[in-house]
Amino acid sequence: MQIEKELKLLRMSLLEMTMLVSNQFEKACLAFDTGNRDLAMEVITNERRINACELKIDSDCENILALHHPVAVDLRFVMAAYNICSTLERIADNADGIAKYVLEMTGPLSADVINQLRFKEMTETAIGMLNDALDAYEEELPGKAYGIHNRDLILNEINIASSTQMVELIKKYPNDVKQLLFMFSTIKKIERVGDLIKNIAEELIFYIEAKVIKHMYTKTLPEQKN
Amino acid sequence: MAKETDMMTNEFVLNPPMVNLFNKQVMNNINTIEKQNPIIIPMHENSPIKLISKDLNVYYGDNHVLKNVNLSIKSNTITAFIGPSGCGKSTFLRMFNRMNDFIDIFRKEGQITIDGIDIYDKNIGTEELRKHVGMVFQKPNPFPKTIYENVVYGLRIQGIKKKSILDEAVERSLKQSALWDEVKNDLKKSALALSGGQQQRLCIARTLAVEPTVLLMDEPTSALDPIASAKIEDLMAELKKQYTIIVVTHNMQQASRVSDYTAFFYMGDLVEYSDTKTMFTNPANVRTQNYITGRFG
Amino acid sequence: MNNTHINPTINDSFLKRNRIGKINRVKDKLFQAVGIIATFFGLVILAYFVIDIFIDGIARINWSFLTSLPSRFADKAGILPAWTGTVWILGMTAIISIPLGVSAGIYFEEYADRNRLNNLLEVNIANLAGVPSIIYGLLGLEVFGRLFNLGGSLMAGAFTLALLILPIIIVATREAVKAVPNTLREASYGLGATKWQTISRQVLPASSGGILTGTILALSRAVGETAPLIVIGALAYVPFVPQSPMDEFTVLPMQIFNWTSRPQADFLVNAAAAIIVLLVITFLMNGIAIYFRNKWQKKLI
Repeated sequence: MQIEKELKLLRMSLLEMTMLVSNQFEKACLAFDTGNRDLAMEVITNERRINACELKIDSDCENILALHHPVAVDLRFVMAAYNICSTLERIADNADGIAKYVLEMTGPLSADVINQLRFKEMTETAIGMLNDALDAYEEELPGKAYGIHNRDLILNEINIASSTQMVELIKKYPNDVKQLLFMFSTIKKIERVGDLIKNIAEELIFYIEAKVIKHMYTKTLPEQKN
Repeated sequence: MAKETDMMTNEFVLNPPMVNLFNKQVMNNINTIEKQNPIIIPMHENSPIKLISKDLNVYYGDNHVLKNVNLSIKSNTITAFIGPSGCGKSTFLRMFNRMNDFIDIFRKEGQITIDGIDIYDKNIGTEELRKHVGMVFQKPNPFPKTIYENVVYGLRIQGIKKKSILDEAVERSLKQSALWDEVKNDLKKSALALSGGQQQRLCIARTLAVEPTVLLMDEPTSALDPIASAKIEDLMAELKKQYTIIVVTHNMQQASRVSDYTAFFYMGDLVEYSDTKTMFTNPANVRTQNYITGRFG
Repeated sequence: MNNTHINPTINDSFLKRNRIGKINRVKDKLFQAVGIIATFFGLVILAYFVIDIFIDGIARINWSFLTSLPSRFADKAGILPAWTGTVWILGMTAIISIPLGVSAGIYFEEYADRNRLNNLLEVNIANLAGVPSIIYGLLGLEVFGRLFNLGGSLMAGAFTLALLILPIIIVATREAVKAVPNTLREASYGLGATKWQTISRQVLPASSGGILTGTILALSRAVGETAPLIVIGALAYVPFVPQSPMDEFTVLPMQIFNWTSRPQADFLVNAAAAIIVLLVITFLMNGIAIYFRNKWQKKLI
């Protein structure tokens, strides 16, 4: 059936985009961590490709809705794909932004700064969340998607703490203010990425289980299913 | 970089030059995905034109049923004619195999050409024309004969008697219309004993047996249940590789699912004719939009 | 609180003892009874007649009765010329009338335009079916007997009877052809068939049941016709079996009529026996035709 072919193509395109975006984000975090300018350049160059992906998936979703009138799980999938696609594009945008900071910075930040802000923990958590979302999408099992919500709390926590810590760090390293400000922005960006990943998880759960868990607080989340 | 301009048009190229992807595994995965799903260019982009209607006006007595219809249909495409009842789409369909000739008060001005030949020229034999342009009707109408005799009817009337030729034609046509597996063990069964969907596929097989190049389908699934309709739609998608197909349909969802081009008729006028994607996402004419969205008619 | 409007419940109007329903049910049963009585009435009368004839005549039927020529002596008289004549005239009438009638019917339905002349013809042909058969006899006498100089031969009789039953066959053919759905024709034309191919391969086979039924009806009428044959000169006393179409002849109804007008009681027995033979021929003819009609219908369905 024609609609099955179209849905399969859409699934593949979205999978490809998730892989690309996940890769971009990992690279950007690593580049920021180590000050690797070449890595940052790669991220910035590939950004154009992500945008092309988004436009194509948007167009495909429109076509499927207009020409094939999906219902039930097919409809949920197309709606989810549409949202996930634009969310991924925003994640990639953030990654692009972080990479651009790397080009502006003169060198990597000191280990002390990184440790105090729990930067490594933050990036690792975020990358872990993104990979889990990717797995949940590929395998169509919502179990991993449920786990993402809790880890986003960690990111929020780090982000909130960073404000006060940043004040101290600026007093401590007055010559590196510019770097520290970039770091501050990056932490904000990663926190935003965490929220975006959480949105992807919600869309996946909507598509797979037809449950809407948007705007539900963690305490009231339904039982995790595997 | 190369391919930048491609993003301005509708063709989205998924492979601008890839710069050293970090993770080899990811790179391999993406390569595999892209190999499986290359960008598909619709096969009809470069097709030659098969049928042309030029300044066509049709009258039933004093009734002006088709007004100045101009369109051309490409080979190996499926074109859908949609529009409310009485808009002239069935009449227009029947122009292509001259079935309107049977109506006493029929009169036409303008030209219909197939492969460049004017089919209303006085040197054209209607019987020969109808072998090249086959028709499938709304209500399945198999002859009250056996399945075998139904399929070979078109060949028998041409004088073909040799059993081997007839047998081969039966197998070929029934396979093409996805009915062979269901009936191959009992071709002597009466055609009227088949279900509605099977009967319609038999009618398609019967039409294909004479090896036409154009298939005209007048609401082929309107008398069938959804599953039988879906089978016929899949069949059409398969058949368009070999034939040029025109479908008249009341069912707009069917038109959007199945056709490459769609023509919208209203009260004898051809209001809009474009590729299906555009027609159903952003039609140029507001009347088309009103009809498609169900706001009138 | 009256809540029968807001929440209708089953009330008396559903119950059987409601008056209007009762009247309708009575009418229903009454019509059923009338139908049964009407059917049985006809059947009973027919049965009485057949049984009566049977009792009277069955003893008389033997090989010599069937193979003897008529004679003045009742016990020697036979029906050989009569039943051979019937068979001859039936055969010849069929050969003349069926092709003519079926062709005319097909022409009217498939080829003729729908103009005023043809409508007029249609009405008149239907009317001809109701013309008294003796008129046909007179027509046959003048045209076939005298003008064509066929005299009182089988040929003249066959032509006359053919004329008589032609309208029935034409009308039956037209009705049968009209009943063939147009979708069949469309499908045939759509595959590139000519008009004649469509008619011969689709319309005729599909309408054959109706045409055959009409033909059976028509020939049944011909079997029993006496008046026109008398007028054209079929004889009552024919001491030979017809050998050729130009021979003179007699038919069973005539022989029966002849015998019943004789005073001797024995001839009445002969007449009864002859009636039985005539009935057998009629039933046989109908039976064979219905058998073939069913056989062809089954092939098509």
